[in-house]
Parts: sequence; C-alpha cells; structure tokens
Amino acid sequence: MRVVIVLDDAHPSPPHLSPRGEGRFEVQMPCRAFARGTITIARALAVCVLTLAAATAPAAEEFTFDAAEFQKKPVEIGGYLELKHQQFRLNPDSAIYRVNFYQDPRARIDQSTLTFKPSGVLRRGEASLRFRAHLDGDWETRGFERSARFDEFYASYKPDPGFTLDAGKVSLKWGKGYAWNPVAFVERVKDPDDPELAREGFSMLTADWIRNFDGALRTVAFTPVVLPASPDLNPDFGAGRHVNTAAKLYLLYHDTDIDFMFLGNGSRSRRYGADFSRNITSNLEIHGEIARITEAQRQVVSAAGQAMLVRGAATSWLLGVRYLTARDTTYILEYYRNGPGLSEDEMRTFSRFVDNAYAQYLATGNGAPLARAANLARGGYARPNAGRNYLYLRVSQKEPFDILYFTPALTLVANADDRSTSVAPELLYTGFNNIELRLRAFFLGGGTDTEFGERRNSRRFELQGRIYF
Amino acid sequence: MLRALLTAFVLAVAAPALAADGNEILRKVDRNLEPESYEMYRKLINIEPDGRKKEFVLYSVKKGRDKVVALFLSPPSDAGRATLRDGDNMWLYIPSVGKPVRITSLQSVVGGVFNNADILRIDYSVEYNAESMQEEKDAYLLNLKARTGEVAYDRLKMWVDRKVLLPVKIEAYAASGLLIKTLHFKDIKDFGGGIRRPASVETDSPLYKGHRSVMLYSQLKKREFPDEVFTLNYLSRVEDLRK
Repeated sequence: MRVVIVLDDAHPSPPHLSPRGEGRFEVQMPCRAFARGTITIARALAVCVLTLAAATAPAAEEFTFDAAEFQKKPVEIGGYLELKHQQFRLNPDSAIYRVNFYQDPRARIDQSTLTFKPSGVLRRGEASLRFRAHLDGDWETRGFERSARFDEFYASYKPDPGFTLDAGKVSLKWGKGYAWNPVAFVERVKDPDDPELAREGFSMLTADWIRNFDGALRTVAFTPVVLPASPDLNPDFGAGRHVNTAAKLYLLYHDTDIDFMFLGNGSRSRRYGADFSRNITSNLEIHGEIARITEAQRQVVSAAGQAMLVRGAATSWLLGVRYLTARDTTYILEYYRNGPGLSEDEMRTFSRFVDNAYAQYLATGNGAPLARAANLARGGYARPNAGRNYLYLRVSQKEPFDILYFTPALTLVANADDRSTSVAPELLYTGFNNIELRLRAFFLGGGTDTEFGERRNSRRFELQGRIYF
Repeated sequence: MLRALLTAFVLAVAAPALAADGNEILRKVDRNLEPESYEMYRKLINIEPDGRKKEFVLYSVKKGRDKVVALFLSPPSDAGRATLRDGDNMWLYIPSVGKPVRITSLQSVVGGVFNNADILRIDYSVEYNAESMQEEKDAYLLNLKARTGEVAYDRLKMWVDRKVLLPVKIEAYAASGLLIKTLHFKDIKDFGGGIRRPASVETDSPLYKGHRSVMLYSQLKKREFPDEVFTLNYLSRVEDLRK
C-alpha cells in the first residue's frame, strides 16, 4: 500500500518517514494550507492519522544497522541508578527482633535506598584502568545513612589473549553454585536473597594464564592471587598482617568445567576446594562444590549466656541442578552443607538465651544480657545462612502468556535442620529500554527456635527500579 | 509391478546420492554465509504485536566450525554480557555475577523469538545432516536432521537459492513435528572480502503469535583468533578483541 499526500514542499517529511519502501506511507505536512486557512479540520485530522499510522505501521518498517556508531572508545562510562523501597513487617516475638528493638519497639520499618553504581574503563594500548563505584543513601524509619566506596578499581595489563595481570581492588568470583559458594575463598559472602548482586572486591594482585589444547583436555587456566591484609588494607579479610596467597586451576575436560582452589594459611585458615559443572542434556545442568577448611571457628552461647569459641576442621559442599522445561520454566535446586555453620541445637540455645535475657530485661530493666546477645547475633547468629544444612529452590517462568521481558519467579530457602523457610515471590519486567522493575515479597516462617522464625521480620516487601545508562 | 519395482530401485539408489548432494550444498551454504573464522556486528530487534521494539547490539567472533563468542554492546542494561559456545557447550557471563554460568541452546538471552542457538549459531553442517533434497524451480529444499539430541531444533527445512547457494527460508521443527519458528533471509549485500550474503534475517513463530525478531548484520569480516579467546576465563575480556 502506498499513500502519497504532497501539500507543501517548504516543509520536508519528518525525518523518520522515508520516501522509499513498499507499503510505506509518504506524508508531507500541509503547512501552506494551514497558513492560508483553507484546509479543513477534517483534512488536518486525516493527515495526522496518516502520519501516526506511518510512524507505527509494522508493514512500513525498514530496519537499518551501521556498526560504525558502536566502535570501541578509549573511555567508556556506564552503570545504573537504583531506587529501592523496602517495608519490613517485624516479628516482635523473635530473638533477633528483641536484641535489636528491646529499647525501641515498633511494628514495621520502611527503608528507601538510592544507589548509584557508575562503572568505567580507560584504555591505553595493552593496559586499562577499570572502576566500579558504589554510592548509596539510605532513608530508614530510624535515620539516614550513606556510604561511598569503590567495589572495584584496578589496572589491567593484557599483552595477549592468553595472559592478564590485574592489580588493585578486584572482585573475583569462584564456584559454580547459584545461591552459595563454599569455594569462594577470596570473596565477600554472597547474599542468597540476591545472588546476582555485584559485590565489593578485595585489593590484590592476580594473573590469569589460559591455554587451549586438542583432545579431551581442551582448556587449562591458572589464576594465582596475592592478597595482602592488615588493619589498613583489606581489614575485613581477616585478622593480623598477612600476605595471603590463593590460586585456582580451571580445566575444561570432556565438556565438564572443573576447578581446583587453594587458599594458604594467613588471615584465614588454610583451605582447599574443587567444583564442577556439566550439561547432562541440552536443558539440564548439574554442578557441585566442595571446600575443606583446616581450622574453622564459630562462636556459640549457652542458655546461661556463656559464649564459647568452637574450633575444628570443617567441610562444606554444595550440589545443584538447573533444569529448563519445554515451557521455558527454569528450576534451580541446590543443597548446601555449611560445615562451620551452627547446628540446630546451637541455634535453639541462642533463642532461649535471648528469651531469658528479654525476660530479665522486662523484670529488672537490665539490658546487659540483651546487649551481649546483640553482639553474638552480629557475630554469627543473625548472619544470612548461619545454619548447617540448606535447601534452595528457584522456579522462574520466562515470558508467560506471551508477555515479553516479563519473568515471574518463586524462591524458597529452607533450613533443612529446623525446616524453617523463606519464600519469596518475585515479578521482574525489563520491557522498557534501559529500565528494570522488580517487585518482591519475602514470607519467613518456621515457628519459635527456628532460624527463619527468629529473624527480626516475618514479612518483607520490596519494590526496585533501575535505570541503566 | 515391474514399473513399481524400477521406481523403488531408482529411489533407493538416488536418495543417498541426493542426500550427499544436500550435504555438499549445506557446506557451501555455510561458507557462503560466513567465513569459517570471522568477526561481525549484529543488531537484534524484538518487535511486539503492538509495534514496541527492543534492540540489542552484539559483537561476535567465530573460529573454526563450532566456536562462537558474542558480546553485548547495547542496551546499557545488557552491555558487557558475553556468551560463549564451544560445540554443544554454552555459557553466559554477566558482569555483575562475575562468573560464567552454563546455559542451554533453547533458552534466550535476549527474550523474543531468537534463542541462544540462533544467536550463537555454528555451521549448519556441523549440527545437521541432509537426509534428502528436493529440487524446486528456484530453490533446493534440504530436509535436515539434527546429528545429536543436543541440537536446538530436531529438523530443519531449508530452502536454498539455486543460483547463489544462500538460504532463503528455514523452518525449524521440534522432535514432535511442531513448527517452532521460521527464518526469512533477506537483503543480499556485499560485505567486502568476497562475502556476499543476506544482511537481514527475520523470524516469526507460532509460539509467539504477533511477535517478530529481526537480526541485521554489519562489518562481517574474515579474521583469525587464538583458541584462548573461546574460553570461560576470557569472557570478561571479549571487549579487548574489538579494534
């Protein structure tokens, strides 16, 4: 179909309307007619309708692409701005609520967070300088906090594709697990509620050698790491002053990814690890990790409030599958054995200690035992996945009902010892260009003396919007 | 009776020969579409029934017959993501996650009608065997069967232009016989260096009624790469290959 209305050559066609192509409308605006006042409203409307039709009619589309506008630049900046609002419905009967709010009881907390995460790279020959910064402002019911840091900031030297040297603050990611990574020896702990969230790195010197071969062993890659730690540099990696060494060896052997990891004795105790990942069929992947820690320690408390440090070797492991159905439903199932984690009895004892401390506070006004419990909570009991055995299940459905870019999901994290659970339904929409919207809710349950039943909140609602640039 | 026997005999003798011809044509189609090792830029456009669009720009490199890497350059929300295919193995690297995870050929990293097998396509002749070939007026119709169960589509019907030995249309079927999608190859263009191929591939699917996806090609060039580029550890550095 071809419709041509030429009314005035003084005003060219709008730039998005090409004068060529089958099925394309060609429209030029009737401005002289307007100026002379001779055009009728009906005619103007008709032109408007045709203009709109030309702009949206699928048959008129003609796509072009010239890659020149995507040429590599010496300096590139990107990142995102995120606004997140969370509402925590508190559980006044829980241990973690009592240690945090015994002086300031409340039913809920509202928290709004504005996060800016710019990232960039400056390239010069075989060297580059990269950064990923984190700035946030956090408005909570009880006050305002802000923070600023570099998650990553490092120089990189890549003389050839088989070798890279990085120096600076780097975020390494070791392991194949989705929700947990027991072999992540030189990283900050992953949050299983947000496993894909970028994390802060450590300052280190690291290299990467890659070699490929013909035969069953197709790839070998070696990654050594030198990570100094002191009260001034990487203070949260561990105690004392140490130059820590770690390494990872990666093999692609018979279509299976295999890694071996090592962290030498230093700020943290010596540990060894291995992981694997393999596609069994085109829609089924299995993965696993195992880590041996030569000396793990955890702080536990007796019902009377006596704190003790328990030391010993520990083994953590994880086994998982990822399965995609013909209907585009993805299942991720993982079992995690957290060797140094707290046993069910240890968790229960802590809850009872808090109950006793709270009863004492109500009776006498003495908050000292609760303050001690708060320290213990920060040191382990209230950390995510402080327990020993966990199950993780995530079911996500890609684009149900033909709604493009829409992904609903349901995530279950269960403490396999006390059977308490966190269930999180989620809606994600990425259909607007450079905008990502996510709505989530968390329902925690399990009853008294259980991990999720004793968390400070029983419900959490979260709305998050991100604008990428 | 004799005629029927003769017909059966002729078919029995001719069918393998036609299949062999079909595989030869398929190999020529592969080389006419792309050199064995290359780099190129592509734009993927997903078009919804209401006309809304989402666009992705990828930089891709390939080596040999079954190693492909694709890096997302745009939109900013996806920039830096990289996918690797080595034979039947596929991985996705997301910068925020920081490590590659295995993905499957039937998933789609971009949403819409193109799936990972379309985006990280390797030579057709590596994945498919021509079981038979029919000669039509302007085209050869190749009936292709997947060589292994790992391949995304169990069967393809490929119409190949007789003159230029380039695909015109491909219908992709599941093992159940269900038509999954149709690919239309359009706009034959000279990319230089002896490469002359369709600059646009459009696809639609009865599974996504009213949706369309378009893949546009630009700056397709022959280029050799070391094997180390096609490894997991290199996925975070694919950007360095761009000149």
